[in-house]
Amino acid sequence: MHDNPIDTSIYAAVTEAIQGEARRILSEGHVAAVVGYAAARRKGSAQPVVVTRADDAGKLIFSAACVNNLAVYLTKARKEIPKSGKIGIVVKGCDLKALVGLMGESQLKREELYLIGVPCAGVLASTIQPDTALTAGTIAPKCRECDAHLPTGCDFVPARQPVTPELEKHYSAEIARLEAMTPAERWAYWKGQFKKCIKCYACRQVCPFCFCEQCLCDRNKPQMVETTPRPAGNFAWHIVRAMHLAGRCAGCAECERVCPMDIPLNLLNRKMAKELKELYDYEAGFEVREKGPLATYDEKDDQSFIK
Amino acid sequence: MQLYISEKNLKALLDRLIADGMRVVAPRMDAGTPLYGPLTDSAGIVLDQLPRRSAKEAFFPLCEDIMSYEKQGRKVSLTDIDPAGFPETVLVGVRPCDAAAIPVLDAVFSWDYKDEFFLERRRKTTIVGLACTKADDACFCTAVGLSPANPKGSDLFLTPLEGGGYACETFTEKGEALVNANRELFAEPNGSTALPLAEPQTERFDLKKVKAWLDGHFEDPAWDSIAVRCVGCGACAFLCPACHCFDIVDEGTEKAGKRRKNWDACGFWKFTHHASGHNPRDLQPKRYRNRIMHKFKYYDDKFGQTLCSGCGRCIRFCPVGIDIAAIVSEISKK
Amino acid sequence: MHPEKTKHAFEPKIIAFVCTWCTYAGADLAGTSRMQYPANVRVLKFPCTGRIDPVFILKAFQQGADGVLVSGCHPGDCHYIAGNFHARRRFAAFRKLLEFVGVDLGRLQFSWVSAAEGGKWVEMVTGLTERVRLMGPMQEFKELALEEQWSGAINTPELQEAYNSI
Repeated sequence: MHDNPIDTSIYAAVTEAIQGEARRILSEGHVAAVVGYAAARRKGSAQPVVVTRADDAGKLIFSAACVNNLAVYLTKARKEIPKSGKIGIVVKGCDLKALVGLMGESQLKREELYLIGVPCAGVLASTIQPDTALTAGTIAPKCRECDAHLPTGCDFVPARQPVTPELEKHYSAEIARLEAMTPAERWAYWKGQFKKCIKCYACRQVCPFCFCEQCLCDRNKPQMVETTPRPAGNFAWHIVRAMHLAGRCAGCAECERVCPMDIPLNLLNRKMAKELKELYDYEAGFEVREKGPLATYDEKDDQSFIK
Repeated sequence: MQLYISEKNLKALLDRLIADGMRVVAPRMDAGTPLYGPLTDSAGIVLDQLPRRSAKEAFFPLCEDIMSYEKQGRKVSLTDIDPAGFPETVLVGVRPCDAAAIPVLDAVFSWDYKDEFFLERRRKTTIVGLACTKADDACFCTAVGLSPANPKGSDLFLTPLEGGGYACETFTEKGEALVNANRELFAEPNGSTALPLAEPQTERFDLKKVKAWLDGHFEDPAWDSIAVRCVGCGACAFLCPACHCFDIVDEGTEKAGKRRKNWDACGFWKFTHHASGHNPRDLQPKRYRNRIMHKFKYYDDKFGQTLCSGCGRCIRFCPVGIDIAAIVSEISKK
Repeated sequence: MHPEKTKHAFEPKIIAFVCTWCTYAGADLAGTSRMQYPANVRVLKFPCTGRIDPVFILKAFQQGADGVLVSGCHPGDCHYIAGNFHARRRFAAFRKLLEFVGVDLGRLQFSWVSAAEGGKWVEMVTGLTERVRLMGPMQEFKELALEEQWSGAINTPELQEAYNSI
């Protein structure tokens, strides 16, 4: 069951289409740069790349190792990428949700972007060697419950249809497992996970929504969250992070993918998304909305928990 | 001294050390992740994978207290941490890349200022190294002049043998003392051949050439193209066996608190941020340049050594796939 | 004459985050009306419940609170029109998060107490104090605060003693 291969044969044609489109928009001067993926030294691996010349468009690829959410490079926090002129960006359906969120939060303007959408059958999980074949066992957990194999509303999407088998859902099962525990058991579980945290802040740095110029957790006057990577400070950091993403995170799961300590961070984000859906019928990432669920209110909101 | 120890006796040795009150630190699973940590018994040891964090944390913890303060009325009392309280430790199952970085760290921690916290832990720790029999394409110890069987930094070095057990060689007095105190668990070499060693696929860097290029290219457009993708987290530095920057923070209230020493990373924007608000390394390429410069130039200038042992952790766990082996190899061809 | 005070083995520390316009005034009314309520509560006054960041609640637990009360104006009565409506959503989400990481929600109480409800304030404080008293001290965060990474842990008895005294 876990060895069941997932069909990624369309990725070669997708790569070709991305290259062609990038070459066209760069040479015709529609965009100043295209942010995409390029092959890297390790066999089968890929890394983000910024292409500014049409001649370099051939560097662009798409494969199951193209795991990054490139939306992070378009935020104000990343000053390294020139923001002058229109920028082209290669996006999977999950990455597009982040862009939609950023547009809603007035961080990006749609007219300043040229979106090259990718029909995606899934990408590899973080702990898997990049040259491994994509199977039901090696696919990233987020792809198991993907509802955006084909990105919508892009400027260009290669006309390919990904084959997407039904897979066992990961996060919903994990959330149910944790919810069935007693508070003490849940505390023990998260304590064990957060204890490993080294405060490398990779989760924050790759998150498209962590675009604050100075994070609350980098401030020391007043110090709201301890900076030391001790269990207490780690716990506080992850609670604050989850709370700040509630209602905004659309589940690209970059935080969890990059965590060098394997902390299931997206589980917290998915739990919050689930609660906000139940409470306020809100789902992030589907349409550009000016205000998220925690930036607005309804006079008739539930207040059964308030005496 | 060359000897043989069976897998069973190695575990018996660890259990005996634990029973004697020695702290035995080895790779074990911690909430699903292989990490170094104190063992409660030998059964928990995991020797078939490289721990996620390097062995440096046994000497240079990711967070340690160095002082505490307390204010009562107008009187302030300070309590220093006395390194004499650090436990005697045996560090087991250290891969050559991790072990080789430890003597490199000795240089910086015993330079003009003697860091008693590091040095006392170092004095009290015996390192048992272990040769590697498998490598992935992120491994590059051979590229920086080490090898999967290099005993640098180990007091005692184990090499897995065909048919089980380990060839065991001592390299220091500490290693010999450990063997002599438990001599009956060791046997004379039985003539078995060693398991085939891992073969990292990276070609050897010409470190002299790399340094020569770095000497003259503090400003170079290459840095922008190398590091434009860097998102500025600390994963590379924190997983690295040789990175050793730290930050001193005071945490607590005005009444009482502690002064702590935490790992720091040159990838963070805050690393060189001045109180005035000015930041000499204002963009990520300047920060990433420092990482390469420090490893292959500055450390060499000061101590004549390279601050990289090729463990490949920064390659495997870089969120955006930055590959230091590819970068250095490219520099060496310039 | 004060009523007889019962001695308890455990006196919980309760932190109350209140808005200045309604609940603080309500607590004031309870005081001027000479109503009795447990002295376990430490009141912190904010301009509005909308100003109460979830981080404050977290910080209170981290610094040794056994229970936290958050209280402000009834819906529609906010001095700033909608601060409490925003707060209501934020706390609805935050309590779910705390529950998910294993905090017993019995220690966290939200209420609307108006300037005229001195009696309700007394009821809230007394209720929470008694409930938390039965639950015992909030050990989780206190234990967490003392925990170290294995590599940085120090094991000399003198130092441990010095630390425990802090």
